[in-house]
Amino acid sequence: MRGLTHPTRRRFGQGLGGALTLTVLPRAARSHEGTHEIAVRIARFTFDPDRIEIFVGDSVTWSNADLVPHTATAEDGVWDTGALDRGGAGRITFGTVGEHRYFCAFHLHMRGAVVVRAKADG
Amino acid sequence: MKTLTLALGLALAATGLAAQADEPMNDLEIAHTAYTAGTLDIRYAHLALAVSENKAVRDFAQTMIRDHSAVNEAAGALIAELNVTPQDNPLSQALVEGAADKRAELMALTGNAFDCAYATNELGYHQVVNMTVAESFISAVTVEPLKALLEDALVTFRAHEQHAGHMVAGLQCAG
Repeated sequence: MRGLTHPTRRRFGQGLGGALTLTVLPRAARSHEGTHEIAVRIARFTFDPDRIEIFVGDSVTWSNADLVPHTATAEDGVWDTGALDRGGAGRITFGTVGEHRYFCAFHLHMRGAVVVRAKADG
Repeated sequence: MKTLTLALGLALAATGLAAQADEPMNDLEIAHTAYTAGTLDIRYAHLALAVSENKAVRDFAQTMIRDHSAVNEAAGALIAELNVTPQDNPLSQALVEGAADKRAELMALTGNAFDCAYATNELGYHQVVNMTVAESFISAVTVEPLKALLEDALVTFRAHEQHAGHMVAGLQCAG
């Protein structure tokens, strides 16, 4: 999934957690070599954190801790995790610099943003 | 096991649901009523999908089916894990009877009249259910996993209440 030039999607089933090494970063991910995977937790109808900064080629994995399904869906429709059931997770790899705003397609008040920076910025 | 407060009965009566919850409810009765409330809202949603052509109403109805099914699935899993059987009770029966009356009322409507009636009922229904869960059920249950499930479910139901409020506002219903 690394090095793709467009956002890509991979959905994971339940129980994925132990199979991946996810790095929970603070809001702004600065130190960077290679690509990273950043975790966003969905709980209590919020994305946590609701705004993250990553570098081109990094991936974001959304994990749903709520009882009900959620999605992380790009406002511009370019990418979508699809429905994430309780305990489920979905990953998107970002290859385009910019601010990628997203929402839950099932609960429209849930909003978030992924800011993708060129590696030279770091 | 604690006695449900008078507020529950008053709240249900205020929405036309004949509350008969004078007697204390135990965990199994609370579980039954919570499950029943979700099932009834799913039935309202299916009616909305059959009648309404309004996108906001249909999207809301789809969300109710999706979310309440998920919550009830979690409840079913907990019930199986605890190896218990929820108990029917007067409050569950009152909810079922009230919902039957409301469905009959809704089925006589079409177009914007239906949309407004459905949306308004959803807002009121979630307001009452949320108040009941928050102020009565959670404090009354004695089994910790059920309490935790109700607390999680309340987060969902409050989001529904907020969503229903936006839906009602968007429909610009008279009165």
